[in-house]
Amino acid sequence: MTTEAVSTATGQLQNLTGVITLKLRTPSRLRNLELVLLLFAIAINAGSFVLVQFGVLGEIEPGMLSASFVLAGLALAMHVALRISAPDADPLILPIATVLNGTGLAMIYRLDLAKGFEGWGAASVRQIVWTTLAVIVATVVLAGLRNYRVLQRFTYLAMFTAIVLLLLPLVPGLARTDDVAAKVWIDVAGFSFQPGEIAKIALGVFFAGYLVQHRDSLAVGGRKLLGMRLPRIRDLGPILLIWAAAMGVLVFQRDLGTSLLYFGLFLVMIYVATGRLSWVLLGMGLFLGGAVIASQTLVYVNSRFTVWLDAFNPRYADGDAYQLVQGIFGIAQGGMVGTGLGQGRPNIVPLAESDFIIASLGEELGLAGLFALLALYLLLVSRGFRIGFAGRDDFGRLLAVGLSFVVALQVFIVIGGVTRVIPLTGLTTPFLAAGGSSLIANWIIVAILLRLSDAVRNQPRLVVGP
Amino acid sequence: MSELTLLVLRIGFLLVLWGFVFAIVYALRSDLLGQRARRMPTAAAPASVPAPAPARPKPAEPALTEPVAAPVSDALPSRLVITTGAKEGLELDLGRETLTIGRSADSGLVIRDDYTSTHHARLMVWNEEWVIHDLDSTNGTFLDGRRVTVPTPVPLNTPVKIGTTTFELRR
Repeated sequence: MTTEAVSTATGQLQNLTGVITLKLRTPSRLRNLELVLLLFAIAINAGSFVLVQFGVLGEIEPGMLSASFVLAGLALAMHVALRISAPDADPLILPIATVLNGTGLAMIYRLDLAKGFEGWGAASVRQIVWTTLAVIVATVVLAGLRNYRVLQRFTYLAMFTAIVLLLLPLVPGLARTDDVAAKVWIDVAGFSFQPGEIAKIALGVFFAGYLVQHRDSLAVGGRKLLGMRLPRIRDLGPILLIWAAAMGVLVFQRDLGTSLLYFGLFLVMIYVATGRLSWVLLGMGLFLGGAVIASQTLVYVNSRFTVWLDAFNPRYADGDAYQLVQGIFGIAQGGMVGTGLGQGRPNIVPLAESDFIIASLGEELGLAGLFALLALYLLLVSRGFRIGFAGRDDFGRLLAVGLSFVVALQVFIVIGGVTRVIPLTGLTTPFLAAGGSSLIANWIIVAILLRLSDAVRNQPRLVVGP
Repeated sequence: MSELTLLVLRIGFLLVLWGFVFAIVYALRSDLLGQRARRMPTAAAPASVPAPAPARPKPAEPALTEPVAAPVSDALPSRLVITTGAKEGLELDLGRETLTIGRSADSGLVIRDDYTSTHHARLMVWNEEWVIHDLDSTNGTFLDGRRVTVPTPVPLNTPVKIGTTTFELRR
């Protein structure tokens, strides 16, 4: 009995040592790598600010240059928070987000210089404030959400939140009045906000929670048609409901992009949850049908389609399609390596700092720079998919895939709109575009992905039972 | 600021931006969530590993699925296979780390049923064999039908029952 007790103690001691090596060695390697990449990212951001000032002013103006170090300080603060609260988190996400955010900031600053905006009138100053707020919110989410499985409990609350956020722009007192086309903005106390940006996170949580519960019945095959097993008729309820909601967004908020974003998110998540391609084909058919009908019957959707298909027609090129056409001319002017930061004329395009920041970046950084930014998005999204793939519980997997896919889809919708692949919409480019709601939402997504990736290591290796 | 300096700076900036992209891709190479890096020796190893013993209870599987984690674990079972219960047929690579079993989410193997305790049992390597250690569970851990009261070595292919789940260790 005594030997046994002694050996048990030895076993526990061995166990304890194992834990200690794991906690001390492996994580710090990840965080050190993150620190190196983060310093690289900070150098790039400072470099882009310096180039903007050289290009526009011909000299360094220290006032706004220090603004780029605000973001640097915030990123480093979040890095420290990660060391404390999520030491096993993915080390690549934060540096990528920092570079994207910093590049957007430099371009907005460049446009402010061209337009002569200063102080609180300058979009770049407001963007710095929003960045500060967004990174702080992300850090709070990261530190507060120690166990992401808690989110699963709020499945239906998330649904309710998403619906309320989507309806907000239609409330008379809140809706922005000067908005003629897309009704996706609200004005609260002098600030405009796009509640749909936050709604995409709530929808991701809701879809993940809902599909974890119901995917077994959704995966059951029904009748076979053209070699493909269709879902059963009685399981069509949810997809029809989401489709109706997406069409409602299209009709009442007049925004094809938002509607496509939410519906695409649902399709991908139901595909990942059930592994049935028929859902995706069915959904795409439904959406295309709805979009075509809407484009024929609704005036504002129809005009978007006309402008998209016939942008260079002189009848539109100086009117409705002016922004689109000027953006394309800007990108063409940039060519392969761009005109150089601060040396192009991206300010010709209306709303160059928000909707058309991609056209501005394409003009001044060229195809090479634009593709580098796209590669960064690709890497960010692939990290998200990797986290979902490595996750061992279904809710976390679905949430990681959904949240990273929504970033990818949004990048496609925006850049596709600017480059005339699809009709132009009112969505914002994640991290790059000027706008607080978009920044906050995307930084929250970063925080949730970091939290999920931290849990991958500490997660059960196998879960038996419900 | 001369034209040439600006040209050099702007090309340099693009190169640095791409340098960052490739730095991230380079960091990705070892796939930092740890999965691929640990498996890498496995892919190279099968040539040197002797063919599976003929006494294996199951039909031989491709040698690639055989994890040969550490050289010392020659005789150590390296897989845990669920034989009955909700996830029947699932396998878990064991490695050499201690595996905790229980209903709580921080366990290595989470079993959620009415008969499993929060921290039910622990499976660990001890003197080069796997030992099951019951952590004062309410409904007990059964090795080959007998309740485990003291840390007991788990032989190969012997059912261990926890709640409604049974698993075996296999090589």
